[in-house]
Amino acid sequence: MIDCLIVGAGPAGLSAAIACAENGLSTMVLDEFMKPGGRLLGQLHEEPNGIWWNGIDEAEKLYQRAKALSISFHLETSVCHLEKVDGKYWTLHTDKGKFSGKNLLIATGAAEQSLPIPGWTLPGVMSIGAAQVMANVHRVKPGHRGIVIGVNVLSAAIARELLLAGVNLEGIVLPPRYLLTKGQSEPKDVFQSLLHMVHLAPSHLMKIGGKMALKSSFIRKMAVGTYPKKGFKVWGMPIKLKQTVTEIIGKENVEGVKVASVDSSGNIIEGSEEILPVDFVCISGGLYPLAELVSLAGCPFKYIPSLGGHVPVHDHNMQTPVEGLYVAGNVTGIESAKVAMAQGHLAGLSISSQKNKVSDGEALQNARESVVSTRTNALIHFHPDILDGRRRLYG
Amino acid sequence: MENENVIICRCEEVTFKEICDTLKQYNCSSREVKLRTRAAMGYCGGRSCRSFVDTLVAEFSRRPRADDVQLKYRPPVRPMPFKTLGGE
Ligand SMILES: Cc1cc2nc3c(=O)[nH]c(=O)nc-3n(C[C@H](O)[C@H](O)[C@H](O)COP(=O)(O)OP(=O)(O)OC[C@H]3O[C@@H](n4cnc5c(N)ncnc54)[C@H](O)[C@@H]3O)c2cc1C
Repeated sequence: MIDCLIVGAGPAGLSAAIACAENGLSTMVLDEFMKPGGRLLGQLHEEPNGIWWNGIDEAEKLYQRAKALSISFHLETSVCHLEKVDGKYWTLHTDKGKFSGKNLLIATGAAEQSLPIPGWTLPGVMSIGAAQVMANVHRVKPGHRGIVIGVNVLSAAIARELLLAGVNLEGIVLPPRYLLTKGQSEPKDVFQSLLHMVHLAPSHLMKIGGKMALKSSFIRKMAVGTYPKKGFKVWGMPIKLKQTVTEIIGKENVEGVKVASVDSSGNIIEGSEEILPVDFVCISGGLYPLAELVSLAGCPFKYIPSLGGHVPVHDHNMQTPVEGLYVAGNVTGIESAKVAMAQGHLAGLSISSQKNKVSDGEALQNARESVVSTRTNALIHFHPDILDGRRRLYG
Repeated sequence: MENENVIICRCEEVTFKEICDTLKQYNCSSREVKLRTRAAMGYCGGRSCRSFVDTLVAEFSRRPRADDVQLKYRPPVRPMPFKTLGGE
């Protein structure tokens, strides 16, 4: 029987598989997509040192290392259920049959949260991640001219990728204000969260204004008050903090959006409504851990908003309270790809040490430290309070 | 927002108004909202709308979100043909 089953061939699952196999464990990786790499496949961004992070290359490097270690891969295989048999081993149920193994690592990543907006069920409306996959993985333009709804680090990063791919975008605007868009539809709240990504914006003006505003609530208020209607450009993309889409319109598919200007609290300014012709709309409401399988395995959860919502309980070695069940990557909380890789490596060592094939406490210790330092130095923080969220889990 | 008829659960076509009306009348849990309206009971297994339902329940009940997952995950967590589930 296989020593370790891994669900998810993203950066976490691949890194874990490599660590397991390097320590002599027979390892199998399952993923429902046709290519290994998970969300890495869509990523393209510039590091502060000017070097580009090309997710497709990173995925290929990991995959080649894994192949060289004779890890077995089952791609295009969806895991739809799992069970622990005789309290001893795990059996995964998939659309390609059953697979059993002694240990199980779930590294299923994150899912996108959309935002319900009138007209969001029209063809041509998609999540921002879908547009990323179309452009960066399949090399298809999502449409001729689009607009992005939802101002956050994910939408800003992907909008930039879409621009680089030659896609026309009106800009990034806010969703309409109501119960389900709280915190994402009021310019003053969104501005506050944007300040945490000023280091990503190359415009010096934004940098200085940003740093000052981070410290002073007065400057913050002034800045939101005088924020231009046309928006600030970040990476050539106007972020329109004072514009909202009130409705997506079209008969058979998207034909345009109704936009309106709003004040700092998100109240619509009367008479400001106009229609912009677009043929696609990307909605970005954030990410949450995709933990369905972990829940079916009987693992308890904690609700930690700074990590993206409900996350499986696990310790600093990525082990859950359920025997033989481990987690790594975005399923444990939303963070960037490098953190997922470090977590995967740690989980792989942790599983190997349980099998007594690694008794090297030092290697585990180093891997734990590497997760912490990668987290602290991460370029993209999906939430300003991630460190606090992690403390709530690991103490 | 003016348009209360915006759809929240795409699979079962349940609107924002239907969920809010249910919560006003019964001040109930996510599970009861699901059973009464069919929100989060469709094809996608609540992947798209479960957090909207939880958010509305928290808003109406004025209680913080619990650590337990409110709407239980049920296998299969992906749409599967009957054949795969054990038929001949
Ligand atoms: C749309 C989007 C854009 C992102 N952009 C960035 C970015 O620009 N920069 C950044 O640093 N981070 C980004 N992230 C965060 C990203 O999640 C992490 O960078 C990283 O990819 C997480 O790695 P992971 O291995 O945990 O999960 P993933 O990379 O998501 O991999 C999980 C894998 O599990 C598979 N899987 C899930 N469920 C099943 C199942 N039931 N059966 C079989 N296979 C399954 C999936 O197919 C997937 O391949 C983005 C995330 C999303 C969703």
